[in-house]
Amino acid sequence: MKLKKYISLTRAGILESLQFRLSMLVLCAGNLLYLIVIYFLWKAIYASSGQDSVNGMTFHDTLIYLVLATSLFNFMEMYTVWQMGRGIQSGSIVLELLKPMQYKTYMFWSYSGNFVVNFFTTFLPTFIVVCIVTKGAVPLGMNLLYFVIAVVMAVIINYNIDFFVGTICMYTESIWGINIMKQVIVLLLSGATIPIAFFPETIRRIVYYLPFQSIYNAPLTILLNGDPDIKDVAVTLGTQLIWVVVTMVISKLFWKISLPQITVNGG
Amino acid sequence: MKRKGLLFYIKLYCKILSQDLKSKMSYRADFIISTIGMIFTNIAGFVSFWIMFRNFSSINGWGYHEMLFLYGFSLVSLTPAQCFFDNNWSLRNYVYTGDFIKYCFRPINLFFYYQSEVFDVKGLGQLAFGLGTVIYSWIKLGLGFTPLMVLKMTVFLLTASLVMIALQTAAAATCFWINNSFYVLDLAYKFRDYAKYPITIFSPVFRTIFTFIIPIAFISYYPSLVILRPDEVPLLSWLSPVFGIAFFYIAYRIWMFGALKYNGTGS
Repeated sequence: MKLKKYISLTRAGILESLQFRLSMLVLCAGNLLYLIVIYFLWKAIYASSGQDSVNGMTFHDTLIYLVLATSLFNFMEMYTVWQMGRGIQSGSIVLELLKPMQYKTYMFWSYSGNFVVNFFTTFLPTFIVVCIVTKGAVPLGMNLLYFVIAVVMAVIINYNIDFFVGTICMYTESIWGINIMKQVIVLLLSGATIPIAFFPETIRRIVYYLPFQSIYNAPLTILLNGDPDIKDVAVTLGTQLIWVVVTMVISKLFWKISLPQITVNGG
Repeated sequence: MKRKGLLFYIKLYCKILSQDLKSKMSYRADFIISTIGMIFTNIAGFVSFWIMFRNFSSINGWGYHEMLFLYGFSLVSLTPAQCFFDNNWSLRNYVYTGDFIKYCFRPINLFFYYQSEVFDVKGLGQLAFGLGTVIYSWIKLGLGFTPLMVLKMTVFLLTASLVMIALQTAAAATCFWINNSFYVLDLAYKFRDYAKYPITIFSPVFRTIFTFIIPIAFISYYPSLVILRPDEVPLLSWLSPVFGIAFFYIAYRIWMFGALKYNGTGS
């Protein structure tokens, strides 16, 4: 019954986040507001440019891309860095280290319940609203399946990066600064604030060699392409898979090296 | 209770401030990393702005330098909220743990005492960044330079800053009534990103909402029109100082109302 312990953590996570119904409502309202701002902003931008499509993206493409990027962000935001940082500062991390499960695995699964809840409360409603607003500009076909696979890998890459950054907190004892740096870099270089298609050529080429674009750009590009070329999809998913492995190995190694470093002041 | 004069409060603020800075200096690494993080945020904001304007030359009749002016103006007017009212972020924890009660026993204004306790130094980086942006675009736009303009700019900047302070204070005050009010505060914090866009891009309904209900238009758009387009200043621009003060007063009242009905957690 290896799976059972994971599932029970997921269940506990679901129950826990259902306790905070009001915060979910606020999160939804915030999402909606962001959707409105983005809608009008890019509508004005496209209206002023006088073109239907810029850099191969139409207004609807951009809208879908940006709105879903944000809801993906809300969906994937795990506050790992905060939890690890606080655990290290307060010393409560010791209790989690004693658990008969690897710390990294435990953290992931204890958060997984939120994935389930967030999927139904933030991602799905946003997705439906976007589909309606853009009058069915989201192609519904095989790309949905690829999208789901890409999102799963994106979650893992994102978690590994978070975990790596959280480990840095052991050395710095600064959480806010480290976390904001990570967030800024990830959001900008993953194409969550501005689609990567709009980036200048050189920067775009560099960005494609970094792991961040696999988090938001990869799944969203797959989703927006209604008639996917199997080769393109394979390349995108393959790149993601490589990053999954690389980030996993690096974050695990770094954690292993850093663990003896931990200093807990009482607790 | 005798009312204390302004001078008394200024002196007191300086004393509390120096204590806060001393305690911050003992966490030097955290301080440096946080400052770098803040600079990162500003650079990333600027980069996304720049990428956007590489693809589109104007938005709704607003040119690059005009948008830059709005952007810089918003950064500067958001600084006081960042620097002087950062303790709002901890309010939730103080209320939750019951530590808030310690603020209630001082013979000075409760709101003043609470907010004075933390001064966020890293906001100064944002101030420098914003001022640089404003001055650069000011020169590029050839707006001219008279003492009257500087005076106008100062007055409008100061009153515009009250709007964000009001939003943040009101959002923080929700913790007196609801648990887990982090999301409300986080939502209010995100409004600052929307402040840099001209309000004219929105449809009339949302223009009204963003003017009177969530008054982000007063953070940058209305006040900067006075300098930016002196020939066609709408009435709302001239009234923006009044609105700033009014919003601040309302938020202050909400905060105080919550604080005064607070009766601890009994520990």
